[in-house]
Amino acid sequence: MPTRNEVYDKICELLEPYNPKNRPIEMSSGIMSDLEVDSTAVFDIIMGLEDHYDISIPMEMVSDIKTVGELTSAIIQLTSE
Amino acid sequence: MSLFDKYAPLQARVDVMMKIGKDALGVQFDDIISTTRGRIGNREILLAGTNNYLGLTFDEDCMSAAKNAVDNHGTGTTGSRIANGTYSEHIDLEKALADHLGMPSCIVFTTGYQTNLSAISGLAGDKDVVFMDADAHACIIDGTRLTGASTIRFRHNNPEDLDKRLRRQGEIEGGNALVVIEGLYSMFGDVAPIDEFVDVTHRHGGYLFIDEAHSYGVFGPTGCGLAEEQGVLDKVDFISGTFSKSLASVGGFCASRHPEFEILRKVMRPYMFTASATPANICAALAAVEKVKHGADLRANLKVRSEQLHKGLSDMQYDLCAEASPVIAVRRPNEAVAAMEWNALIEDGVYVNLAVPPGTPQSSSLLRISLSAAHTEEDINIILKAFNDLKDKQGSLMAEMGAKLQA
Repeated sequence: MPTRNEVYDKICELLEPYNPKNRPIEMSSGIMSDLEVDSTAVFDIIMGLEDHYDISIPMEMVSDIKTVGELTSAIIQLTSE
Repeated sequence: MSLFDKYAPLQARVDVMMKIGKDALGVQFDDIISTTRGRIGNREILLAGTNNYLGLTFDEDCMSAAKNAVDNHGTGTTGSRIANGTYSEHIDLEKALADHLGMPSCIVFTTGYQTNLSAISGLAGDKDVVFMDADAHACIIDGTRLTGASTIRFRHNNPEDLDKRLRRQGEIEGGNALVVIEGLYSMFGDVAPIDEFVDVTHRHGGYLFIDEAHSYGVFGPTGCGLAEEQGVLDKVDFISGTFSKSLASVGGFCASRHPEFEILRKVMRPYMFTASATPANICAALAAVEKVKHGADLRANLKVRSEQLHKGLSDMQYDLCAEASPVIAVRRPNEAVAAMEWNALIEDGVYVNLAVPPGTPQSSSLLRISLSAAHTEEDINIILKAFNDLKDKQGSLMAEMGAKLQA
């Protein structure tokens, strides 16, 4: 099972192409509100995480995730199941 | 904090667009002169972004059918399909479409958006899993949101990726997989390998749903769409489409090779709780279905024009999003440049669509062209000249944009 820091690093890596202004990515950063990643790009990032961790992250779960920290927690939960 | 504060970032984008020129997402035409010409103020505009693929909006038979429908049955139905809103016209159109597609069941809806919203939300139950192409249209996404089903996206036009995700999901206890794709994708104009999706979906025991909104009428020997073109129409479980493109009206349909689909009439909330399509809309679409079935010449001209435009733009080194099809999207570096160029095109007498994120794949900013069988060779030359002019005056356009944004 990946550590919280490993998941966070992977999310940062996948967010990089969608963060041209190099805004700081914190656990508390709102993915759409603070980082201004649009909804289509969010789902592209989700597909990358699904493939990296070999998990399914349904869209209805994604709609409840607002911050990088919440996404990190969701990944850890799904990889532990 | 106001109720509208959450839209401040969006308002800022709109403000930039308005500094640059017109509201590209709210254009008002003062007159529609023909299938390919409109008027804004005193300027005649060549229409190259109307999805009017077969050019039937001014077809005499379609117009007569609509006029006769008003004379015979009035302007509106004032009721939903489950109340007083089912007329003989609705049933006739359902039979005509079912017959055309070779399927036992077809249901018509009031709009195209409502079609996918209804069908997907009705088909997928709490224990089912929807697998949706990553570039699926908003009405498909919204349809999944109305269900209790889990929804998984797979990479665009990638049957291998779907295969991987279906395997990852494993057995769906008490439910089924519903795979949803489109035929011709509306933004980039690329086409799905439907034959491969049929194979992958059915190998996993799932059902395949194809939205042929932009491909019905345009592809296939009799115009049934890309599934017919690729020889797998009889293997597709559900086909949806719209009346507001090739069929030159307003409304939509979903057909199925499963006769049990009929029960959905008693389930689909967006179908049950909205007024049915007007007699005029239904009769215009019914007349247009006949035109589609015998429209090989229209499809042939549309293909020639698409190839002419695609080659011309490619020769100018424009970055095009897909191979030649009636939808040709020109990728621009960002939203402001695309908006500036869109205004220049309108001033030059050519209307195309400005398409921006999140409505576009890959966060792209696009000048999107959709062609019609009614476009002539000369019309395409006019569009090409307008795009050539954009290249020629790129320096002055960008300087003008910079000045406007700083003002």
